[in-house]
Amino acid sequence: MYSELLHALPEVLTFANFMAVIVGVVAGIVVGAMPGLSATMAISVLVPFTFGMSPLVALGLMAGIYNGAMYGGAIPAVLLRIPGTPAAVATTFDGYPMAQKGQGGFALQVAVVSSSIGGIASAIALMVLAPPLSRVTLLFGPSEVFWVAIFGLASIIFLLGGNPVKGLISACFGVFVSVIGSDPIFGNDRFTFGQLEMLDGINIVILLVGLYALPPVIDLLEVPLKTDGVNGSKLGTEPIWRALPRMKRFWKTWIRSSIIGIWIGILPGAGGSMAAFMSYNEARRASRTPDTWGNGEPEGVAAAETANNADTASALIPALTLGIPGTAVAAVMLGGLLIHGLQPGPMLFRENPDIVFGFMWQFLFGAILLVLLGGSLATNSFARLLNLPRPLLGSVIIVLMLIGVYSIHGRMFDVYLMLLFGAIGYVMDKLKFPLPPVVLGLILGGFAEENLRLALRIGRGDWSILFANVTSLVIVALTVAVIVGPMIKRLLSKDGKTAEGN
Amino acid sequence: MVEPRASRLLRPETLTALGIIAVAAAFLIPALELRANSALLPVAMLIGLIVLATVLLISDQRKAAAGHVSKPMTKAPGRVAGAFLLVIAYVVATSLIGFYPATIITVPLVAHVFGYRSFFGLAAATLIVVGAIYLVFDYAMAQQFPTGLLLGR
Repeated sequence: MYSELLHALPEVLTFANFMAVIVGVVAGIVVGAMPGLSATMAISVLVPFTFGMSPLVALGLMAGIYNGAMYGGAIPAVLLRIPGTPAAVATTFDGYPMAQKGQGGFALQVAVVSSSIGGIASAIALMVLAPPLSRVTLLFGPSEVFWVAIFGLASIIFLLGGNPVKGLISACFGVFVSVIGSDPIFGNDRFTFGQLEMLDGINIVILLVGLYALPPVIDLLEVPLKTDGVNGSKLGTEPIWRALPRMKRFWKTWIRSSIIGIWIGILPGAGGSMAAFMSYNEARRASRTPDTWGNGEPEGVAAAETANNADTASALIPALTLGIPGTAVAAVMLGGLLIHGLQPGPMLFRENPDIVFGFMWQFLFGAILLVLLGGSLATNSFARLLNLPRPLLGSVIIVLMLIGVYSIHGRMFDVYLMLLFGAIGYVMDKLKFPLPPVVLGLILGGFAEENLRLALRIGRGDWSILFANVTSLVIVALTVAVIVGPMIKRLLSKDGKTAEGN
Repeated sequence: MVEPRASRLLRPETLTALGIIAVAAAFLIPALELRANSALLPVAMLIGLIVLATVLLISDQRKAAAGHVSKPMTKAPGRVAGAFLLVIAYVVATSLIGFYPATIITVPLVAHVFGYRSFFGLAAATLIVVGAIYLVFDYAMAQQFPTGLLLGR
């Protein structure tokens, strides 16, 4: 089972594939360091440009960006108390006070080393857990696959938190978009309104760029952030090897936070912010000096940064094996896999072992490269990026979005469609409709429909075939648990509060 | 403070819910003309959208009746509308006059309108962006860009 992992290693070490990871990590740090830009947005913009690349180069870029952005978010979090990415909020608690005391350089070094350790732990978890899980899913037939798709949608809607009605609306919208185009079995048109461009359905990249790239650009132009004034040369950064001995005492935090990050990453819908907050709280609780936390305790930076990087590769465990992404970035990465003809799920491990295991190695190398590429000199340079004018950045991203979407099929129709999705995404974002269920709905909708209809054909129209075996029933039970669980939790916490009030 | 009845209907969530109901109902007409198996999932999703949007509408109106004032969707509606209009204008201009002329106009225009006023910075950024796109996409990757309906052949 794990021998294929070793077979994939030489493939990853080729010049092009390894360079892709390096470029990805640097690009990710840059993107993460820019408040308002995120890994999700960067990968959404990148995906169309990877069409002509070999899958491992494309995936290497994505893995690098994901790893890099999770650390990059710490740069403005430490220097300006503005988290570069949502996952870096907890980093501001102690990172910014450290910068105010003139220890900004050390805070960033703690962040980069901790990010790297979290990323390495996460990549190892992906390598160890994904292959056996994929073997189990090989036993699934059409009705089980249908239920897995429903489970994926349910888990991302109900475990994401927030308003479940809005989550369900997002998912219904995504599934509806997935049915546009030719019917997969009868071949008749559905909702194409005579547009030949829509016969093949809506390309996931158009939806991704519209939903994830346009709203942040509009935000960038809406409130221009004045972040100039950061002088990288005054960070007080020393070479990492000199700073490492001062970090030795964080080893327990690194282990604890890695476990928390990996676990949160596997859970669909949770994500880096939750991992960082949970890890920060646990580390503070375990500390002998909890009073110093919040006033510039380097261990606080270590806890937050380890956890938000530990949820990167682990979010791909359910994504690669079941097609259920753990985070929004993982959902976008699924889109990236799909445009290269790689359908997430058990067959991915059987048909493309070099690619899927190579991708895992790329995550590991990306995490290791963080320390080398995010060292003192680089950190000083990345800090200067904060001085880039936002409006200029916004206009350049708009151009990149147009090029990316246009280059898919070489037609402006797709660009107009992207604008439509962008406008919808902006409204959804502002009204707090979650976006990952839309992407997941688009990915799993077609998949669920095809397998449901196949199962019904096998059962000659008898719907009871969907409940005919134990595996299906187990997945149905899990789906019900995912839906009912948060409701019970909410009721219990309400009762608790009422009892306290009385 | 209780919102007046007219403004209650203009709450962002209420308007969105009404929009979803209207669009989903409009899509239901062609959906019901499809063959039964083909219509199964689309009809289920559209009915789901109508039901869920109705739930959203009712809960938002209940909040309004209870005195909850909705937050505005944007901090600067003028800037947001301007940003959307410029993006749309850029896409339309690309269709009409071609990718390069539209990009040469848009990059400095968007940056200038939204507050970046350095002449040399704008000129340098435009030159770098357009030059890099030409070298990477046009020259190295042989990517064809729209030449425009008005100027192209």
